[in-house]
Amino acid sequence: MMRSNAHHMGMRTKTKISNTIIYIVLVIMMLIWLIPFVCILLESFRIESTGKVGYVIPKVWGFDNYISLWTKTDFPTWYLNTLIIGLVVAVVQMAFVLCTSYTLSRMRFKGRKGLMNFILVLGMFPGFITMIVLYKVLSGVGLTNENAIFGLMLVFTASSGMGYYVSKGFFDTIPKSLDEAARVDGATRLQVLTKVTLPMSKPIVIYTILTAFMAPWGDFMFARYISHLTSKGMTVAVGLQSWLNTELMTNAYYTRFCAGGVMVAIPITLLFMFLQKYYVEGVTGGAVKG
Amino acid sequence: MATVKLTNVKKVYGKNVVAVNEFNLEIADKEFVVFVGPSGCGKSTTLRMIAGLEEITEGTIEIDGRVVNDLQPKDRDIAMVFQNYALYPHLTVFENMAFSLRLRKMKQDDVYAKVTEAADILGITELLMRKPRELSGGQRQRVAIGRAMVRDSKVFLMDEPLSNLDAKLRNQMRAEIILLRQKINTTFIYVTHDQTEAMTLGDRIVIMKDGIIQQVGTPAEVFDMPYNLFVAEFVGAPKMNTFETELVCENGKYYVTPYGAKIQVEGKKADKLAQRNVQTQRIILGVRPEHIALTDANDPRGIPSKVEVNEMMGGELHLHVITDDGDRVIIRVQTINLTEDVRASLTYGSTVYFTFEGKAMHFFGVDSKHNLIS
Repeated sequence: MMRSNAHHMGMRTKTKISNTIIYIVLVIMMLIWLIPFVCILLESFRIESTGKVGYVIPKVWGFDNYISLWTKTDFPTWYLNTLIIGLVVAVVQMAFVLCTSYTLSRMRFKGRKGLMNFILVLGMFPGFITMIVLYKVLSGVGLTNENAIFGLMLVFTASSGMGYYVSKGFFDTIPKSLDEAARVDGATRLQVLTKVTLPMSKPIVIYTILTAFMAPWGDFMFARYISHLTSKGMTVAVGLQSWLNTELMTNAYYTRFCAGGVMVAIPITLLFMFLQKYYVEGVTGGAVKG
Repeated sequence: MATVKLTNVKKVYGKNVVAVNEFNLEIADKEFVVFVGPSGCGKSTTLRMIAGLEEITEGTIEIDGRVVNDLQPKDRDIAMVFQNYALYPHLTVFENMAFSLRLRKMKQDDVYAKVTEAADILGITELLMRKPRELSGGQRQRVAIGRAMVRDSKVFLMDEPLSNLDAKLRNQMRAEIILLRQKINTTFIYVTHDQTEAMTLGDRIVIMKDGIIQQVGTPAEVFDMPYNLFVAEFVGAPKMNTFETELVCENGKYYVTPYGAKIQVEGKKADKLAQRNVQTQRIILGVRPEHIALTDANDPRGIPSKVEVNEMMGGELHLHVITDDGDRVIIRVQTINLTEDVRASLTYGSTVYFTFEGKAMHFFGVDSKHNLIS
């Protein structure tokens, strides 16, 4: 009895020690990760000097940088551009992805396996190898620079159906007999999708919308290629980056740049805070539910 | 409330997996027909073709005189109950039952009236506001039946509706389905692998094997006069005993001679053998466990055997005995006819003598496996 107790205690202490070590490592990693974000956040509120300084914590706090960001620069245009692209892509991509997933999960047709393999192989090529061709095509039809918003919408939604894996995995876990019951009950295929499958798939719908919104919101490479000439067609990422190209903007208006960075982070942070639980369910749901 | 007619229906999966072949059946209005057979016999596939959930490879299916081959399930006016209930998990019981009515844009008051009426018949009124996951298996099955009931559809299809329930609940629900049938009075097609369900529920039973109908008949017909050995062995529990032996025709009388005994065939069976002018030949003799009687060593018709297993079922005993030739035979004995001494003596290894009832024997061709007199 004594021995087993002692043994038990030993185990418990061991777990405690290893947990402590793990947490210490995690905290250190988190701090390293957070440092740049905290710096940007703090600098965005600094008003005693708008350039680069040798300290982090502001001496005088205020919203001046934000006010000048929204009133004196093209930032509102970029922000609106990005928001429009993000929302349109989120909606269109959701429709594409969910339809593709439902079709590949539920229907059996000739070439289904081949199509899935084809998409798999196609997905292995990194997206940016098509960049030059895409630029040529888009500039040929006039969807670059001032019309870059439409160009970007096209680029982000065009192949979105290929990202069907996660939601197909989720749909696969919903018993087929539910579809059949609904069809016998008088539902068309579309009604089965909207009245039975989707209401049961909230996590995956939210996951799809979230990822669809985030991709254009955070993208720099494509956006930069397609719109770099006029401010009118720029997204936030491209616009903010363009500031870094000039001495003046980098040195004299550094805090305003930081305020821009914080503004970009806000919508995504909010989305994640409210939808986090669905997001986790969406990512893991398809895998464990079966 | 409709007739269903299947003509030369065939189902092929892929290139050459034939699931159902040459299926011909006419189901009368308000008839209760049961498709029964071992798993993989094509019974569910046939039901699903009637429902429109599987395409028909060849042949035609008519509901109420209209060919429905190319109609979507929603246009066939059928209701179906699934083995795994298939309740919509995100909807309440009420919404589950109202689903089809709302799709048809029925007025809210009518929907309410319909659903509450069905819930009342099934005794699930107090469950209407619950979600399916808060229900027990039996309750879920009731809801599934209710969802099909509110439809007032032409044909009521049931695909192994009781298979997911435990034994006790299954017996109870079986009785309820018989009652339900009186109340809703429509055409039923019921699929099961359980011969007890088939026998107790069906007006007619369709026994299938490997995608082909073996026999169609009333429960009494398939029990008393099975077309072939498969049907004979499938219907009835415990299953029929078979013996390869000789059927002897002597002076217009027929005898079977298993294990050197000589037992005369009597009654209608003997008449039919004579009518068909069946000659002396080797046959497979089938005798149901309840048509075997215990006798004693003095009986010239008695066949000696040793008891292997004695299953006390309550009202009856299932004796598993083994003959001197090593054949296993099951005998069903009513316990009420046994004295205490005899019951006590039926232990492992003890010798018993059995014989057959002359009027309840079945004769099958050795090669054809067909009933010689059906």
